[in-house]
Amino acid sequence: MKDLMPFDHRPDSVLGEALRRALDPDDGDAGTSAFVARVLARVADARPPSWDHVLARWARAGVAAAILVALAAGYLTGRAGVAAPAVRPTMTDVLLSPPAHPREVEIVLASVIDNQ
Amino acid sequence: MPDPQPPQQAARIAEQDEADLVARAAAGDRAAFGTLVQRYAGVARRVARAVLGNPEDSDDAAQDAMLSALVKLEQYDRRRPFGPWLLRIVANAATDRRRRRTVRRAEPLDPGFVAGGPRPDTTAERRALAERLREALAELPERRRMAVVLFDVEGYSHGEIAEILGIPEGTVRSEVFHARRRLRALLADWREDE
Repeated sequence: MKDLMPFDHRPDSVLGEALRRALDPDDGDAGTSAFVARVLARVADARPPSWDHVLARWARAGVAAAILVALAAGYLTGRAGVAAPAVRPTMTDVLLSPPAHPREVEIVLASVIDNQ
Repeated sequence: MPDPQPPQQAARIAEQDEADLVARAAAGDRAAFGTLVQRYAGVARRVARAVLGNPEDSDDAAQDAMLSALVKLEQYDRRRPFGPWLLRIVANAATDRRRRRTVRRAEPLDPGFVAGGPRPDTTAERRALAERLREALAELPERRRMAVVLFDVEGYSHGEIAEILGIPEGTVRSEVFHARRRLRALLADWREDE
């Protein structure tokens, strides 16, 4: 082992070897091979699915969305029909309600008076 | 355990060879990626273990890092060495895992080890020394641990370690210096006890 120097740029082979033994897993070459195999297996698991799988997934999602939209539209349409019953105004309502177009009424009245 | 291709040797491999492997791996060649994983498995597992201590956690972190590296391969600047780039991902993965996991405190030092207790044979002696070194490493700040392992075990330069750890080169020198002081003292005690 080298003396400790503040600017020792060389690796310490004795310390390095001792640390390597301390940090190396005990499983040897078989452990390394198993490690590599596990990584590659995870890569295979994480591989993106093929185009037909993607299309099938999209199709399933699309069908589900279309069903939801159809159900929602049907519900809203039905609700609108039920919620807005046609109410016929009575004669009193018509006579008492303010005219929709006051100017037109005035013109009609003026023409009637002129004719008389 | 000797690596199939230790990082010191890996560093000497023609850059073209490694760049070619990386390019093929990025293009989806799993065999090329497998070669890279094989080449860096040893150093990745050791660096992760320097951070995490526990071998199982370390392997999980190293695996996560390898997968993360594959995903990020497109971002890798192929003009630069691959090893430091990969080890930065490994170091980050190990650090992240350490932060997430429930802190498992290292067992306290066996007084027999500290006092240089009886060692029946060489194998037991080596195991005991390895245990003491792991415990001494665990007492060091994380960055110091990684710095000394990358320098004295893996043979990376201060500049490369600075790149891996994302710190200035001068800080790397300081970290290696302080780590060595602690670990060498431990080794010296051990030898005197023999």
